[in-house]
Amino acid sequence: MKKVLQIILVLTFTAAISGFVLSSVNNWAKPLIEENRIKAISQAIFLVQSEGKRYEKLNFNEMDVFEVFDENDQSIGYAVVHQGNGFQGTIKLIFGINKDLNKITAIEILEQVETPGLGSLITEDNFKNRFKNLNTQPLIQVVKGKKPSHDNEVQAITGATISSKAVVRIVNEAAEKLKKLNGIKK
Amino acid sequence: MKKQENLFYEFLKGLWEINPTFKQILGMCPTLAVTVSAINGLAMGLATTFVLIFSSVIISSIRKIVPNQVRIATYILIISTFVTIVDLVMKAKFPELSKALGPFIPLIVVNCIILGRAEAFASKNNVVRSFLDALGNGTGFLLALLALGSIRELLGTRSIFGFQILLDGFSTWMVMILPAGGFLTLGLLLGSANAYTNWKKRKSKKEILITNSILR
Amino acid sequence: MELIIIFISAALINNFVLSYFLGICPFIGVSSKISSAVSMGLAVIFVMTITAIVSWLINNLILIPYHLEFLTIPSFILVIASLVQFVEMVIKKVSSAIYRALGIFLPLITTNCAILGLALFAQMREYTLIESVIFALGAGSGFTLALVIMAGIREELELANVPEPFQGAPITLIVAGLLALTFMGFAGII
Repeated sequence: MKKVLQIILVLTFTAAISGFVLSSVNNWAKPLIEENRIKAISQAIFLVQSEGKRYEKLNFNEMDVFEVFDENDQSIGYAVVHQGNGFQGTIKLIFGINKDLNKITAIEILEQVETPGLGSLITEDNFKNRFKNLNTQPLIQVVKGKKPSHDNEVQAITGATISSKAVVRIVNEAAEKLKKLNGIKK
Repeated sequence: MKKQENLFYEFLKGLWEINPTFKQILGMCPTLAVTVSAINGLAMGLATTFVLIFSSVIISSIRKIVPNQVRIATYILIISTFVTIVDLVMKAKFPELSKALGPFIPLIVVNCIILGRAEAFASKNNVVRSFLDALGNGTGFLLALLALGSIRELLGTRSIFGFQILLDGFSTWMVMILPAGGFLTLGLLLGSANAYTNWKKRKSKKEILITNSILR
Repeated sequence: MELIIIFISAALINNFVLSYFLGICPFIGVSSKISSAVSMGLAVIFVMTITAIVSWLINNLILIPYHLEFLTIPSFILVIASLVQFVEMVIKKVSSAIYRALGIFLPLITTNCAILGLALFAQMREYTLIESVIFALGAGSGFTLALVIMAGIREELELANVPEPFQGAPITLIVAGLLALTFMGFAGII
């Protein structure tokens, strides 16, 4: 009987102290973690919308969309977070799009696990800059091995066609979704 | 009557003689996963050592009142508490490192090194010795991670800790950053460690034989 | 369709052992004979699937609603430890032959990073219950596959002339590295 009591006491005591310690640390950490999260998102948003000074999260469940405002508090467009299947895993990216939803301002790759040295080059400025001022109407197209001849074309990275195509597909998908959602909002 | 080793030995043995990575072959999962760069290896080593030290000390101090049947459950509770603390602190203060190390910080809780030392040592020795044992094993693990991380980073990106060391002419070995590179490097390092140990054993055996033949 | 992607991804493209480095200890320890590799693999698939269900329940019925996410690690690992204890009891009763074959590796499944890793990934990716189960089946199958292939290779290696320092863990790791390289070929099939 004494043994059983000892077992119960030790376990309960350990669990109680552990729970107490953890919830205290958690209370300290939670605001800091939230702060970090907001900092990361702000950084990403203002990277793709460089004129932006303030942003507001729009209330869509399917996708993270932020409306961005410049220093005169005029809406200059949106920043959209979207993800999809890349070559080796999920690619998560954010892109800025203008108010009329027909021109990309810039893109940033947030998360990727593509092949180092090949697919991972989608994070390089060389590739990302190809999206600046890109037309989204008609849908963005990928060209291989030659320079783009239309305003909606992006040249793929040599040796990383699938990763490049994945990025374009994700952006197109998100842009189309945004047009639909915006229609509902208005 | 168990021979009582001196305190310094309790610390020292963790560095090589029972080095968790090279001798005990424990904690392989994080060793392979986070050593794509030296700094990741260092961070993981520090985090693990932190958990190892605190868990060992606490477990050692309550070793006499924990009933045998629930000892594993209690140890796991204690270890997971410290791992959660490390995880929360890293997320709050070092978000980039936390993202880089990913799920491997929470996975410290199943790092066989910690439970292994708790079972094999902390549950049977006093607090001071357990502390030294934990410090030694943790440092040994950290050094192993640093070695592996530096090699893979150097050969894979020409730098260590972000500082470029090899000249641009060196063609980087991409494979080092991939999982395959981790396996290969660790396998080669382990083999080399074994070779060194065997060589030392043979050398001292030879010395004993020579000494004996001289004495005769 | 989504489910098939999750399964194939977990089993082949992002194989738990060869891409994520989860489950290495049993991988090195149990892969010397095909028969024990198969038994270990099946035990892992079983434990993984039940873990996926239970951890999903804990996460969505307790942790999230009550804002107790910081208790994830202790709760998950305690669940896994109890599950493994339970599986060990069941195997002991059902077949003492299998029990003897798996020996000390059963309790080792508790510290098998693959099981906890699975639970954490499913939580991180916010999988539904069905998605978690498929994920577990895929991950467990991939683990078993890697383990069995490894065992097959090692059985052949027994007859080869491996230099003494490399016998055991080192040569296993090097072979695993080559296996990892080949599995990279699966990338891009979805």
